[in-house]
Amino acid sequence: MSDDLVNIEVNGVAMQARRGQMLIEVTDANEVYVPRFCYHEKLSIAANCRMCLVEVEKAPKPLPACATPVTEGMKVFTKSARAISAQKATMEFLLLNHPLDCPICDQGGECELQDLSLGYGSDISRYSERKRVVKDKNLGALVSTDMTRCIHCTRCVRFGEEIQGMPQLGTVGRGDRMQISTYIERSVDHELSGNIIDLCPVGALNNKPYRFSARAWEMTEHASVAAHDCVGSNLYFHVQNGRVKRVVPRSNEDVNESWLSDRDRFSCYAIEHEDRLLRPRIKVEGEWRDCEWSEALERASTLMQESIKSKGADSLGILASPSSTLEEASLLAKLADGLGTANIDHRLRMLDFRDQAADPQFPSLGRRIAQVETLKAVLVVGSRLRQEAPILAHRLRKAALLGASVSFLCPQRYEYLFPVTAYLDREGGSMTQQLSALVAAAAEVTGKPLPEKVHTAIAGVKFGDLHRSLVASLAEEGESAIFLGLQANRDAAWADLRALAGVLAQMTGASLGTLSEGANSAGASLAGVLPHRVAGGADRSKTGLNTVQMLQEPRSAYLLANLEPWADLVVAGAMEAFKAADSVVALAAYAGSDLLECADVLLPVGTVAETSGTFVNVEGRWQSFAGAARPLGESRPAWKVLRVLGNLLGLEGFDYDSSEQIRDELHGTLGAGEASSSYAGGHFPITAAEDHAVEVAMYAVDGMVRRSLPLQQTGEGRAEQSAARDSAVAG
Amino acid sequence: MSFSDSLPPQLHVVAITLAQILAVTVVLILCVAYLTLAERKVIGYIQNRIGPNRVGPKGLLQPFADVLKLLLKEVVVPANADRFLFIIAPVLSITPALAAWAVMPLFPGFILANINAGLLYVLALTSLGVYGVILAGWASNSKYAFLGAMRSAAQIVAYEIAMGFALVAVVMASGSLNLGEIVQAQAGGAGLLNWFWLPLFPLFIVYFISGLAETNRAPFDVAEGESEIVAGFHVEYSGVSFAVFFLAEYANMILISALTAVFFLGGWLSPFQGWFAADSLLGAPGFFWFALKTAFFLFCFLWFRATFPRYRYDQIMRLGWKVFIPVTIVWIFVLGAMIAFKLPPWFA
Amino acid sequence: MLAVRNIFKTFFLVELLKGLRLTFRNLFAPKITIQYPEEKTPQSPRFRGLHAQRRYANGEERCIACKLCEAVCPALAITIESDVADDGTRRTTRYDIDLFKCIYCGFCEEACPVDAIVETRIHEYHMEMRGENIMTKDKLLAIGDKYEAMIAADKAADARYR
Repeated sequence: MSDDLVNIEVNGVAMQARRGQMLIEVTDANEVYVPRFCYHEKLSIAANCRMCLVEVEKAPKPLPACATPVTEGMKVFTKSARAISAQKATMEFLLLNHPLDCPICDQGGECELQDLSLGYGSDISRYSERKRVVKDKNLGALVSTDMTRCIHCTRCVRFGEEIQGMPQLGTVGRGDRMQISTYIERSVDHELSGNIIDLCPVGALNNKPYRFSARAWEMTEHASVAAHDCVGSNLYFHVQNGRVKRVVPRSNEDVNESWLSDRDRFSCYAIEHEDRLLRPRIKVEGEWRDCEWSEALERASTLMQESIKSKGADSLGILASPSSTLEEASLLAKLADGLGTANIDHRLRMLDFRDQAADPQFPSLGRRIAQVETLKAVLVVGSRLRQEAPILAHRLRKAALLGASVSFLCPQRYEYLFPVTAYLDREGGSMTQQLSALVAAAAEVTGKPLPEKVHTAIAGVKFGDLHRSLVASLAEEGESAIFLGLQANRDAAWADLRALAGVLAQMTGASLGTLSEGANSAGASLAGVLPHRVAGGADRSKTGLNTVQMLQEPRSAYLLANLEPWADLVVAGAMEAFKAADSVVALAAYAGSDLLECADVLLPVGTVAETSGTFVNVEGRWQSFAGAARPLGESRPAWKVLRVLGNLLGLEGFDYDSSEQIRDELHGTLGAGEASSSYAGGHFPITAAEDHAVEVAMYAVDGMVRRSLPLQQTGEGRAEQSAARDSAVAG
Repeated sequence: MSFSDSLPPQLHVVAITLAQILAVTVVLILCVAYLTLAERKVIGYIQNRIGPNRVGPKGLLQPFADVLKLLLKEVVVPANADRFLFIIAPVLSITPALAAWAVMPLFPGFILANINAGLLYVLALTSLGVYGVILAGWASNSKYAFLGAMRSAAQIVAYEIAMGFALVAVVMASGSLNLGEIVQAQAGGAGLLNWFWLPLFPLFIVYFISGLAETNRAPFDVAEGESEIVAGFHVEYSGVSFAVFFLAEYANMILISALTAVFFLGGWLSPFQGWFAADSLLGAPGFFWFALKTAFFLFCFLWFRATFPRYRYDQIMRLGWKVFIPVTIVWIFVLGAMIAFKLPPWFA
Repeated sequence: MLAVRNIFKTFFLVELLKGLRLTFRNLFAPKITIQYPEEKTPQSPRFRGLHAQRRYANGEERCIACKLCEAVCPALAITIESDVADDGTRRTTRYDIDLFKCIYCGFCEEACPVDAIVETRIHEYHMEMRGENIMTKDKLLAIGDKYEAMIAADKAADARYR
């Protein structure tokens, strides 16, 4: 290894570096500051801003630190008169055409150009000609542009090419006529496009919904976790006077690196949507009436107790959103236990529960998110990955670019911005049929015997070379994985798909992973919001009704937590079941028309920004966060509401003072060991049944996303709206 | 036949005495009123300002405006205060300040109560004043008021000793406890050189400074200490009750000034006695001289307030116990020697 | 020797007498009292009194909601909310100065990049009702409109010192 290392000297201090490393990487690692604009550690090197010029001994001119590889015995001076004068000269050129409109620029106060001009800028400009003006581009509803401020670092261009895989911005012209532009008036429509806001070192690209509404220095930063997919991206809420102004990513190399999906970034603009439920409401003789918390909670507990008294505990059904926090889930499970019902579920969009006894303790990816990058072969079954988990799609893209063979088995072909080895779509048969064919191919390729239970399923399936080569790549040397996506999870043949995938994984040595709905399916499963398991994963003595059963065999009372019947449930007849019920108590952040129609008591709860809690992501990572914003109106964090409801119902063990207590108690119940996340294999006859997939659009996954105006105004959002309109017309 | 003739002789005496008391008290209270104005004017002038000048010609009606304002204001009794003590405290502090005037020789032949133990009476009454302060601090049930009262009590006790010793010397020099006789003892052909201020000079200074401390005036006003204990013992007082404390403070100032004049500057004696004819304007003793001397000391009170910053509390205690008391004791011995050797012109 | 002199000075109250002499002299020094309101002291064009917001000559308000005044205000007297205006520019939707909090330091005026917020020479004003201490944007603009001539003259007088 030692011959891989070179010795250099920076400002007289000896340093060691790997051969081929760029100078700026070495100085960054050794905390020697070199100013820069275009260099970004996640992007390729462009060396076009020239701000990182440093003096290198024996070099005739200052060299850009970001594009100069280290060599043995190099002597670098970052603060010599020559380096400083080169940097100052660069800054003078950068500021020539910059409008210096910091007072009206949203970047003001957090601007790299502003910061560096303090150190390297001149007080007075020597430039007295007319300044350049560039027409602003329309990049859609998410990113605002002030192109005159651009310093042509091309970070946004490189992001589009290298991270998105979808070049949306490019440079036009040369010299001082160079412009950053879109491809002929197209808006920026990638699920990670919002990251160019953070990348832009000046105020050229900014957050459009946030535009002009606050200043960087008057907001406080609250660490939190994204609530709209199973990745659990780390983020900061930027809060001014208790109101969320914007969301920025929080770097976590293990989860989201330094990126954030648009869904997680722009969903916060739904917090103050007009639908927000601001006061507790009860329905009296068919009319809604605002009331005090005490009255609403009394009424909720009375309604539930009445139903239990007259029709038995089994008459109560509890449905919770998979994006409820771990604490909320835990309290709901305790509530169900206390009231004596096992009818509790969070798997709102699942249709097939045959194999639930074999579920792992929580739906798991089967590996760390960061380990996705190192995979050599991947099969994704039933997933629209870019929409379901954008960060995961990005990780998979990185793997594919490193040469992994990535294949998809989905009803439909979707656009992936990386080389895909094979698409197995509906033309080759249903997902179960295709998967059966792969299992059969695996038997042939690996020569391993097939388990008994798949015999009926693979009877008569045909497979071809495509299947063989795909299985072969999975079985080859190196890590491989099979991921079951949300389309598969929502499929009527979910149990079959998972069992077949399990067999395939076993035979090829691939790991098996599943994506899950919402931000906290894992947490809800661990907390016991399941009809067949209690907290900790032990089986219930008597299995209760799952989501589908609860709606098809209507209960007389329902407790709904954070869900909206019209969009979060896929079972037909949900609304009818709720309307027919004697009482429906709903904990809701938003009072949509569906809840107003079917509920009897509405308890306003905070969105994820307004509550403390914990999300367990798809790799089993517990991520706790504190409340960032002040709960709007009279709304309260849901765990507090459930805690008081538990007290009013006279149940034991609801005397929590903080959400941390609930989390720690549950943590204790689960034991110190990591929860088992492996799928044991199903015990039921597998059939290659015709499948039926339910589509849920990217910007329609939960109430908050559905109400975020900026997201709904994107190309994706508009497409969804028109699709919803079409289906409404058709229906 | 006048009204007084119709009364029995005993009542006659009572009526005359009452009239005299009334006259003295009213004049005294008027003096207090104008002392407040004088204070504001003098301090104003020292600070290059002109002081109050809006109410009446040259601001001369200002004291009445102040009194009117204070009378109209609400007397707030704090919720947890001892109501009776709270109300009685200002009365306790004004009464001795006025009663001490009973033995004051105002001009030759006039003294309300010509008692032989006049000096003891004065000492007793000035000591009583401290009760008003202590009770006010206690009854207010406020920590600031209580702190102020404690400071005030400790201070007054400390300086009373020095004051007492200084008076012992006066008694030794004059050979009498009667204030009228003390004044007479200072009469002589040398005029102002005959007065006690010269042989008793250190005691004269000690007495006047102790007087400043006794009346809680600057630079010894730590009992109020607005910068650290808000306003000390009267922080909870307002309206009339506050006005009475104010009255007491200024009445005490006048009293101390008058006593200093009597003890050390020969009371109503003319400074030019023996230099001019005894019946000439400057040579004759009279109330004028007494008032002038008192006014001089009052001016000193105000002058000191405008000049000196407040002493630190421990410095006040050190000055009282470690400087003034030793000085007075030593000087008593010196005085004893002077008397023994019949030092002219005072003890010949 | 020094110690002896110090004891002498202390014992004979020399320093105190010096102080008394000084104050006594001032007793007769000329008095500087101004009989306000009949007489008034001269005012500098830099006088910092009641606030005003200015407009450009074409009637467009100057303030661009950069919030620098809010940031620099040591008394936290300024509250600003901003948004995109109808014409796409950055404008305040709320601009409040709490005169009870304000310490009239003039930092807001110094910080303003467009000379929008200024402190006028007006110093004789009062409030009678609770809430009148809050100078809203409308009130500030009204003052600015009324006294624009004076403000402009003061700014011009001070311009060459900036």
